[in-house]
Amino acid sequence: MNPAIRRSWWRRVGLAPATVLLLTVGLGALLVRHRSGPDDVGRPAVAAPALAGTTLDGTWFDLAAVRGQVVLVNVFASWCGPCRDELPLLAETALRWSPQGLRVVGLNLRDGPEAVRTLLKQTQAEQLTVLPDPDGTRAVDWGVRGVPETFVVDRDGRIVAYQPGVVTRQWLQDQLSPLLGAA
Amino acid sequence: MRRLIVVPGLAALLALAVAGLLRSAGPAARTDPVAATAAELRCPACQGESVVDSPSPIAASMRQVIADHLAQGRSREEIRRWFVARYGDEVLAQPPARGPGLLLWVVPAIALLGAGAAAARTLRPRLAGSARRSGARTRWPRHPGSARRSGGRTRWPRHPGGARRADGATSRWSPGPVCSLTAAGLIALVAAVAVAADGLAPPAPPPADPAAVALRLAWDLEGRQQYEAAAQMYREALRERTDDGVQLRLAFALLRSSDAAGAERAAREVLDHAPESPDGLLVLGLAQRATRPADATATLRRFLAVAPSHPAAAEIRRLLDP
Repeated sequence: MNPAIRRSWWRRVGLAPATVLLLTVGLGALLVRHRSGPDDVGRPAVAAPALAGTTLDGTWFDLAAVRGQVVLVNVFASWCGPCRDELPLLAETALRWSPQGLRVVGLNLRDGPEAVRTLLKQTQAEQLTVLPDPDGTRAVDWGVRGVPETFVVDRDGRIVAYQPGVVTRQWLQDQLSPLLGAA
Repeated sequence: MRRLIVVPGLAALLALAVAGLLRSAGPAARTDPVAATAAELRCPACQGESVVDSPSPIAASMRQVIADHLAQGRSREEIRRWFVARYGDEVLAQPPARGPGLLLWVVPAIALLGAGAAAARTLRPRLAGSARRSGARTRWPRHPGSARRSGGRTRWPRHPGGARRADGATSRWSPGPVCSLTAAGLIALVAAVAVAADGLAPPAPPPADPAAVALRLAWDLEGRQQYEAAAQMYREALRERTDDGVQLRLAFALLRSSDAAGAERAAREVLDHAPESPDGLLVLGLAQRATRPADATATLRRFLAVAPSHPAAAEIRRLLDP
């Protein structure tokens, strides 16, 4: 092929698909960054929805009344295996950080009191404040998508961290120590 | 001949596609306002299911929230906004086309336009060239090789550009590679969007079995003598899965909540297909003592005949022959 023809061919043919491909790669990268960013890091700090009611042991709990404390709200259920696995860690966290002002509250989604009492006993998490949510409407108010899910509410009553799925010791350490250490 | 097959075939495919599109895009007629509102929301724990269709616990809770809000007099638009404030635009079954979501609309349109343009470009020179050569109308050889075999010049070139060159066309560029590369580009674009779209919704863990959840709740409620609420949970479990055992638990719960008529209906549902069910006969007989005392004795005697060693048999004997 004549070099002039070849150059002309390349100019006419190469630009359109190359542009499409470049655009594709750019858009793909943009989308992946856009999606993975906010979901993994957490939601922006927003005021926590109201959370009040009679706990499993019959006392009254109101999130607004514990303003000034850091509150870890864990949504769980006795019928959820991963929730069962993370409860001992949450109980340990409550014990460890409560002198610094941490309160761990379990929002018990669509469950029965007997089933959850048994679960708390089995996982040695009986000292946790558990707020039953038999019809799940409180959880929906919090934008819960499934169990387990964990929210960290700071001393000003704002949700500053959110973890869909099981929490790890590291995650708790990373989220709680800046909030509790500053006290 | 080929055209006789291809054109109606394409027309049929197009008609089917349009029909399918209309069918899926058309709103389903729902009279229940809770179901209608729930149908407009996506279940956040599921893949591609609406809140009205999903059996997951969180979808059941969302339906409850919708019912509560409607009872408080909120409009459907207000309820939608309430959910968007908590779950984002993704909770809407038809999210507004903006941001990356816009791509879902734009990319297929671009792909279609691109493919149409490529097809037009590929077909036009050939049709025009054939028409020029054959005088008035386009000739379509029955088989690509037949024209060659008949001695004429190939009119069904393997590649449209080849025909041009063979005909001594003056164009210096070849549309063949353009089409292939554009097609490759479009495929890459669609594939990239598909991959990116896969990243939009991380796979959610499978929802817990709602029937098992409802049953557990029902047992707990029964344990606390809340028979009416327990019956409600049994009904919820039965909506997921029909089961004679659960149906009978419902009948007993209704009996204990003083709803004898409901208990009778529930027991009859089991007895309709299992007329010898001892528990069915027992709960029916006990319910009839309130609804139709005349029939109760006969039913309870049938129960004793079917299951003389049933744990409740001694009590029923005392009841019948004090």
